[in-house]
Amino acid sequence: MKFLPLIWSGIWRKPGRTILIFLQVSVAFVLFGVLQGLKTGVEHAVTAARADLLLVHGRQDFLFSPLPLGLLEQIRSLPGVKVVVPVELYGGYYQKEENGVGIVAVRPDKDWTDAFTFTIAPEYLAAFARSRTAALVTEFVAQKYGWKIGDHIPLVSRVAHKDGSTTWVFDVVGTFTDSDVNVGRYKILINYAYYDEARATGTGTVNHFNVAITDPNLAVPVADAIDKRFANSSHETKTESLRELAQAQVQQIGDLDFLIRAVLSAVLAALLFATATMMMQSVRERTPELAVLKTIGFTDRALFLLILVEAVVVCVVAAGFGLALATIVFPLAARFVFGLAMPKATVAIGLALAAAVAFVSAAIPAARAARLRVVSALAER
Amino acid sequence: MNFSRQFLALLRMNLEGEGARLGSVLTIVVGVTCTVAVLVSMLAMGTGAHRQAVGDVHEDEVVVQSKGAQGIQSNISRDEAVAVRDLPGIAREADGEPYVDGIVLVPFEGRRRGTGRRVFFPLLGTSDPKIALRPPAHLTEGRFFRPGLNEVITTNVCVRQFEGFELGAKREVRGVDWTIVGHYDQGESLQCMVLTDAETLMTLFGRNGYNRIIVRLKAPSDYETFNRALEANPALKLEAKRERDSVEADFKQFNGLLNFVSYFIGTIMAIGATFGAVNSLYSIVDARRRELATLRAIGFGSGAIVAATLIESTLLALPGALLGAALAWIFFHDMAVSPFGFSFKLDVSPQLAEIGIAWALIMGFIGGLLPALRAARVPVTTALRAT
Repeated sequence: MKFLPLIWSGIWRKPGRTILIFLQVSVAFVLFGVLQGLKTGVEHAVTAARADLLLVHGRQDFLFSPLPLGLLEQIRSLPGVKVVVPVELYGGYYQKEENGVGIVAVRPDKDWTDAFTFTIAPEYLAAFARSRTAALVTEFVAQKYGWKIGDHIPLVSRVAHKDGSTTWVFDVVGTFTDSDVNVGRYKILINYAYYDEARATGTGTVNHFNVAITDPNLAVPVADAIDKRFANSSHETKTESLRELAQAQVQQIGDLDFLIRAVLSAVLAALLFATATMMMQSVRERTPELAVLKTIGFTDRALFLLILVEAVVVCVVAAGFGLALATIVFPLAARFVFGLAMPKATVAIGLALAAAVAFVSAAIPAARAARLRVVSALAER
Repeated sequence: MNFSRQFLALLRMNLEGEGARLGSVLTIVVGVTCTVAVLVSMLAMGTGAHRQAVGDVHEDEVVVQSKGAQGIQSNISRDEAVAVRDLPGIAREADGEPYVDGIVLVPFEGRRRGTGRRVFFPLLGTSDPKIALRPPAHLTEGRFFRPGLNEVITTNVCVRQFEGFELGAKREVRGVDWTIVGHYDQGESLQCMVLTDAETLMTLFGRNGYNRIIVRLKAPSDYETFNRALEANPALKLEAKRERDSVEADFKQFNGLLNFVSYFIGTIMAIGATFGAVNSLYSIVDARRRELATLRAIGFGSGAIVAATLIESTLLALPGALLGAALAWIFFHDMAVSPFGFSFKLDVSPQLAEIGIAWALIMGFIGGLLPALRAARVPVTTALRAT
């Protein structure tokens, strides 16, 4: 403890230099925080994606192979299946073509929300099930387009009514949020029964089924059982869990990992070089002072630690500051993969890395300080 | 006259003394090198992707889609397609047949070699292969597909990137086996493309329209004539874009993302490296206090000292800039990458090297400002008295 003032005065011996080093380390760790945070954030999102939620869609592709609604009962009868909900997706826009809205038609059967990642208040759920033309909208889109509960919202779509009109009017009965990352925020939920009856073509088909299963560990066998059930039929299926889909999506990003690692290596290499040079210079300039400390009884080890601790304090505090800044700017960088939060582990790794940088860059100067020969060091004066 | 002589003398003194301050100089060089290398390599993704995207553009071709729709959402009925064939400005063969190609897109699944990961790319149905396979695209192996027989040809890229695209291999689409009968080269593009007959595909998928129509004009300047006639026809809810504009529009978002990320990272790294440079320059200037004080005492002006220090710091950034650009070129030029599920080669172009060098010079200049002021303000008496 008694060394604290000594360390403190060592740090502030040249305030300008310390502040600049502090800023350089901070800036490097802002970048580290944002990039590493994105990387681990995406990985976390994958592990957090639900394994007990399966999507059953046409075997060939996601969008163009509608499945007959009749498959629902057959899927429900399979062991391990808890809830099956038919889902139809189509697109529309509100007032202007730029105001796109993703329309998700679902059937609000009992416990249907188990098969989704939505959070919906009970009164909204009840209101949604009551009315055929009801719509639940994401809080985001409600705010964006100024929709309120009780509004009648006309959406223009490429899907036509039986009478040929392409304008669909829904009544907003509530809002919801979606915990799944990287899915559209411009989204509304409507009743499948109403939609299916009103549309001109494709009646009785769905885009896919959402299936909730009893045990996430059964995801693979249940998915296989579903696909086997419809193998060699006219509508073969492909069943995947949300987690598998998330994994596939991350793989699409592909070389991003390599890129982040390369950038961070360059940043750390430059940083290491700068801090090492500065520490070296600082020790050289302080040779006489260090010799005096030795004369009054400081051991080699004490001097070594003194220099090392000085470097560690500056680097770790600066890194902490940088990581705090990174947490603030993170939402800006994460807007490409929205819903991501900065993982706490990234902060811990960053601080450890800062300490490592300090160790490596201060080790040689500290050793030099420890091996100092008092007589010759003082003679230089 | 006096200023410039003082300035040159100072600059020479500064640069000759650099060898003695190797640590500080190297800090600047390494910092600038890393920053420029990262910035240039990342921007090279944008230029590479762009070069590939516009590399195969034919100036006399026009893309027609339904109004306001993008990609697979676009749907052009057969009636509309027939009407398009009679519009003015379209190039015609000797027998009067217009160069109009109706295109159908359906997703096609592939698995990457090695990793086995699943990727979707378009299976493209063409009604007029003369346009789809216009030079420089050409068949390199096998033969052309025959309409109605569920045969496809693929680019050579597919064979390299994905499993099961060899000649004679069969791929299943909608419960029907499709045979790969030929391979072709496409020019710049590294995208895997699978080509077949539009009618066969439409029958199989129960479609009754095209996703887009490609029209070849007599000359690029006929676009206005063609477009005016298209818009004048009330029966056609279509819009026409020059192929270049269409490709650029598709590409804008992707490019915006890449450039944003590149400059975001480049700026943060540059700020960090500039702090390091300021630190190094301060210690370089401090080491020179006595010389500077002596020169001030014999009549050197502070303007010359400021100018010489600024130029010195800018020059110190230069080797890092060149080294960084060179490293980016050596390691990343022509390297094939596929971030965001889109394959292309990095392109470290001379323009990017210029951007990197400009970036470095600015860093050097800004980094030199404060140290230059300190150099000019060295108090003569105390500096000379100091040991």
